[in-house]
Amino acid sequence: MKGQEFSSTQDYVASEQLMASVNVAIALKKPLLIKGEPGTGKTMLAEAVARSLGKRLIIWNIKSTTKAQDGLYMYDTIQRLYDGQFGEEGVDDIAHYIKLGKLGEAFEAEEQVVLLIDEIDKADLEFPNDLLWELDQMEFYIHETKRTVKAKQRPIVIITSNAEKELPDAFLRRCIFHYIDFPDEQLMEEIVRTHYPDVEDHLLKNAMEVFYNIRSLRDIRKKPSTSELIDWINALQIGGISADQIRAKLPFIGVVVKKDEDLETVRQKLD
Amino acid sequence: MFSNFFYICKAKGLNITLSEWLTLQEALDKGLCESSLTQFYYLARMILVKSETDFDKFDMAFEEAFKGIASENEISKNMMKWLDKSELIDMVDEEERYRMNEQDGIQFIDKDEVEAKFKERLRDQDSEHNGGSFWIGSMGKTAFGNMGGFMGGIRVGGKTGYQSAFQVIGARKYRDFRDDRMLDNRQFQLAFRKLRQFSTKLDIPKTELDIDGTIDKTCNNGGCLQIVMDKPRKNAVKLLLLMDSGGTMIPFSTLLNELFQAVHKSNHYKDVKTYYFHNCIYSKLYKTPECENGDWIDTDWMFRNLGSDYKVIVVGDAAMAPEELYSTSGNYRGPNGGLSGWEWLQLLKRHYKKVVWLNPKMAPGHAPWREAETAIKGLFPMYKLTVDGLNQAMIKLMLNK
Repeated sequence: MKGQEFSSTQDYVASEQLMASVNVAIALKKPLLIKGEPGTGKTMLAEAVARSLGKRLIIWNIKSTTKAQDGLYMYDTIQRLYDGQFGEEGVDDIAHYIKLGKLGEAFEAEEQVVLLIDEIDKADLEFPNDLLWELDQMEFYIHETKRTVKAKQRPIVIITSNAEKELPDAFLRRCIFHYIDFPDEQLMEEIVRTHYPDVEDHLLKNAMEVFYNIRSLRDIRKKPSTSELIDWINALQIGGISADQIRAKLPFIGVVVKKDEDLETVRQKLD
Repeated sequence: MFSNFFYICKAKGLNITLSEWLTLQEALDKGLCESSLTQFYYLARMILVKSETDFDKFDMAFEEAFKGIASENEISKNMMKWLDKSELIDMVDEEERYRMNEQDGIQFIDKDEVEAKFKERLRDQDSEHNGGSFWIGSMGKTAFGNMGGFMGGIRVGGKTGYQSAFQVIGARKYRDFRDDRMLDNRQFQLAFRKLRQFSTKLDIPKTELDIDGTIDKTCNNGGCLQIVMDKPRKNAVKLLLLMDSGGTMIPFSTLLNELFQAVHKSNHYKDVKTYYFHNCIYSKLYKTPECENGDWIDTDWMFRNLGSDYKVIVVGDAAMAPEELYSTSGNYRGPNGGLSGWEWLQLLKRHYKKVVWLNPKMAPGHAPWREAETAIKGLFPMYKLTVDGLNQAMIKLMLNK
C-alpha cells in the first residue's frame, strides 16, 4: 500500500478522514462510495485521486436512463441490420458491432485506472444491484461473442451519490463508505485559497460571512455549495468589488443563489 | 477480534453483515488502522456503516464497546483522557493553538474548565432538540475545536438527553401497519390503479423496438429495412405516503393496514416512499410506525431529495390541538425544528404539486368546532378514508389542475 497513497493535491483539499477512506478502499480493493451534499467536491475527488496517483481517469456519468448494461458493452443490432441489407463488409463478425462501455474500457486498460461512477443514485433503483457481480469479480461475459472481459488491472472504483435514492443493501455491503461533511469555515477558507491564493483577506472574510449566512436561512430551497462560493469569489475579484460593498449590495449574488424565490428571501433577510 | 463489538453494533440496530465484519478483520490484518484508536474508529465506521444517518448509532455502539460505560449525561474520565491526547496536540504548534482558541472565544485552560463547558453544551443540547448525539472532540466542529477540522481526532460523546426529557409518559401502543394479515383490500387496490401515468406520454428517449411500426414502414419502403423505435410503456407515477401513527389513530389501524397493503401490492409505481408522523408533520418523519426517536429522517431532507413530482397522500385524523398545530413548540414528543406544524404543512404544500389528505374520521360537511381539521381542509383537499373517498382522491391526484 505504501507508495500508492493518496494525499491532498495542489488544487484539492482532502480531510484526513477522506484520505484514509481512499487509501483503505485501495488497500482492500473495494469500491469507495462517496456521499455528501451537492458541491462538496465528490466528483473532484476522483480527479484528485487520479492525479495524485498518476493514473488515467475514466468517468461513467449516470443518468436516469442509464442501464447497467450500458457500462459493460453495447451490441449495435440496428447498425448490423442496416449493414446486412447492403452486404457491407464485416457483417458476419459480431465483434465488429460490440462496443465496450466505460466499465469495459476500465477493465480492458493495460494499466490500472481510476473509474468514477458519477451520481449512481440518478439511475433506476435496481441499477446498483445489476453491477454487483461485475464490481466484485471485475469481469463480465459478452454473450454475443462468448468472450469474457476480465480486468487486467483491478481499477480503483469511486462511486458518488447525492442520496436521491436509497441504495440497495447488497450493494452497500460491498463498498467502503465516506460521507463528506459540508466544510466548516476554516476548511472552506483553505479550499478557497487553494483556488485563489492571492484572494484579499477582507474580501474573503466578508464573502464567507454572507455565504454562511445564506446557508443558515431556513427558507432557502437550494443551499449554495462550495463550488458556488468559489465562483462568487472569482466574480467578485474580477469585478473589482471592494470588500465593504459585499454585505451591503450583495453583488453578483445570482452566482450563489440560483432560484428566484431564494433570491427574494436572501434580499429580504440579509437587508 | 472484538466480536462483542459486532454484537453491540447489531444490538444498536446497525445492520452489519458477516461479510462486512470480515472486511474489517481483513483491514485490521493489513494494519490499516496503524494501532490507533482514532484510526480504528474511522476504519470501522467506513467499512461497517453505509449511511450518515447511522453514524449516531455507530458512535453509541463504539462507545459502549470500547468504554464499557453507559453514556448518560455524564462524562467519563476516559473522555478527558482522550481530549488530552497529547500526541495530537503536539502536532499543532503551540502558538497556533492559542490563536485558534482565541478565535473561537474559548480559552484553553484546564480540564475542569473544559469539563464544565462540555456539561454546559450537553445541557444546551437538551433544550435545542438536536436529533442525534453530538460529539465533542478535537475535530474543530464543536466549541472544543482545539485541533481544527482537518487534523483528525477522536470524537467522544453521549446520547442526547432529550429523549428522556420529552418522552411521553405512559405505555406506547403503536401498531405496525405492516402486519402480514391477509385482508380483502381489492377495492383499495383498484382505486390505486387509477394512479397511472404512462411514460409513453412523457418526454423520454425512444428505446424500445416498435415491431408493428417497423413492419409497416419496412413494407412501405419496398422491403428495405426501416426501424421504428418507441417509448417504453411504464408507469411513471411516484408516490409518497405520509401516515399518522399512534394516539388517536389506533382505532383505525385495521383500516390503515388495508390501505398500506393495497399500496404495496400495487407494485406498478415507479417509486413508493412511506414515512410516519405523530399527530402533525414537524421537522422529523419516522421510518417506522412506532415513531421511535432517532429512527427518522429530516423533513428537510425529504424536500430536498424527493422531488416535487412525487404525488403525496397524507393519512391522518387531523385532530391536533390548536397549540400542536400553531405553536413552534407544539410537538410534544420530538423536535419542532423552529417551525410550527402549520408552517411545516405549508412547506409541504409549497413543495409538492399534488397532495391529498385522507382522513378516517372526517366530519361530514362543515365542522368549525374541529379547528385543526377545518384549517387543514383549507390547505389540502381532504377526503374521508373510504373506498369512495380514496377513488376521489386518486382522481384529484391525477388531474392536472
